[in-house]
Amino acid sequence: MSTLHVISHSPFADDRLDSCLRLLANDDGLLLCGDAVNALRAGSPVEARVRNADLQQRLFVLAEDVRARAIHSELAQALDYIAFVELTLKYDKVNSWL
Amino acid sequence: MKFAIAVFSPAHAPSSRRALRFAEAAIQSGHQVARLFFYQDGVHSASSNIVTPQDEVDIAAQWRSFVEQHQLDAVVCIAAGLRRGVLNQDEATRHGRPAANLSAPWDLSGLGQLHEAAQLADRLICFGGD
Amino acid sequence: MSKSMLIISRRSPWSGPSAREALDIALAGGAFDLQVGMLFLDDGVLQLAGDQRPALLEQKNLGANLQALPLFGVDALFACATSLAQRGLSETNLTLPVEVLDDAALRSLIGRFDHLVTL
Repeated sequence: MSTLHVISHSPFADDRLDSCLRLLANDDGLLLCGDAVNALRAGSPVEARVRNADLQQRLFVLAEDVRARAIHSELAQALDYIAFVELTLKYDKVNSWL
Repeated sequence: MKFAIAVFSPAHAPSSRRALRFAEAAIQSGHQVARLFFYQDGVHSASSNIVTPQDEVDIAAQWRSFVEQHQLDAVVCIAAGLRRGVLNQDEATRHGRPAANLSAPWDLSGLGQLHEAAQLADRLICFGGD
Repeated sequence: MSKSMLIISRRSPWSGPSAREALDIALAGGAFDLQVGMLFLDDGVLQLAGDQRPALLEQKNLGANLQALPLFGVDALFACATSLAQRGLSETNLTLPVEVLDDAALRSLIGRFDHLVTL
C-alpha cells in the first residue's frame, strides 16, 4: 500500500527528512508543510538531497507555506487545503512525522 | 470519505491551525470528519482558558466554533489532559483542583476513542509539531 | 477484519512523555484486540537499550512498561537497523524481542499497515 508522508519540521534541525527519504517506497509521496518547506531553499545542501531523491510527480508542498516564506521551487507541486485533502485519498494512508 | 483527525499540538502551534484548515477543507469537499482526537500537547488546543492577544488569530476559539457548527465528535484524551492540566469540571472536582478548563463541545475520554476512530475512518491524519 | 496500525516510536525515553504516550497508543490497541505493531526508529531505539537507570532522573521505568506489550497481544515489534547502528547499539542486547529490519524491509513493513502514527 502507498503512503503519503507529511513532514512539518525544519530539515536543518532534525533527522525526520533524512529518515523519511531513506524509508520512502517507490510509490510513496512526500508533502512538505510548515518549516519543512525550507528543504526547497535553492542552493542548500538539503535541497540537493531532495533533488537527488528522484521524487518527480510525488513531491508536494502546502502553497501557503512556500508563499509565506518566498520560496520558489519547481521540484514540488504546490497545493491548497482542498487539494491536500484530495491528495490524502490518492494514497492508501498518511504518515505524519510528528 | 471518512476522516479521523488527531491533533498533537497546542493552539499556538502552526500544526494546530493546519489541522483545523484541513478539517474545514475536508467538510467543504463533502467528506465526513468522523472524529477529532486531541492527544499529547494537542489537549491544549481544546482549553477554554486560552486568551489570545487581540491582534492575533484565535485558533482555539476557531476550533470551538468549528466543532460546534458541524456538531463534530471531538475527544480530548483524558490521561494526556490530566497530565497537562486540561480538566473538565468532573475531573477538577475529583482531583481537588480549583478550576476546570474543558467543557462542551469537547468530551474527555480514553485512547480507545482514537482506535475506534481509526477503525471507522478511511484515513487517519495526524497533525503535530511545527 | 479490523484495520491495523503501526506506531512508529522515534523519541528517546528521556525526552518527556512522548515515548510513553506512543507506547500507550499501542497498549490501548492491544487491549481492544486490534492489530497493532510498534517500530522503534531514530532516537526511539534508545528505548531498547539495556541497563538504564531512570530513577536517577526521578522517572518511571519505561523499559518495564514496554515489557507489557507482548502481554497486551502486541508482539509485532520492530527496530530499525540503521538507527541502532547510528547510535552504537548492538542488535543482540536489546530489552524487547524486536525484529531488526534494514531499510528495504522497513519500507515493506510500513506498506503493510492500514494506519500509521509516528511520534
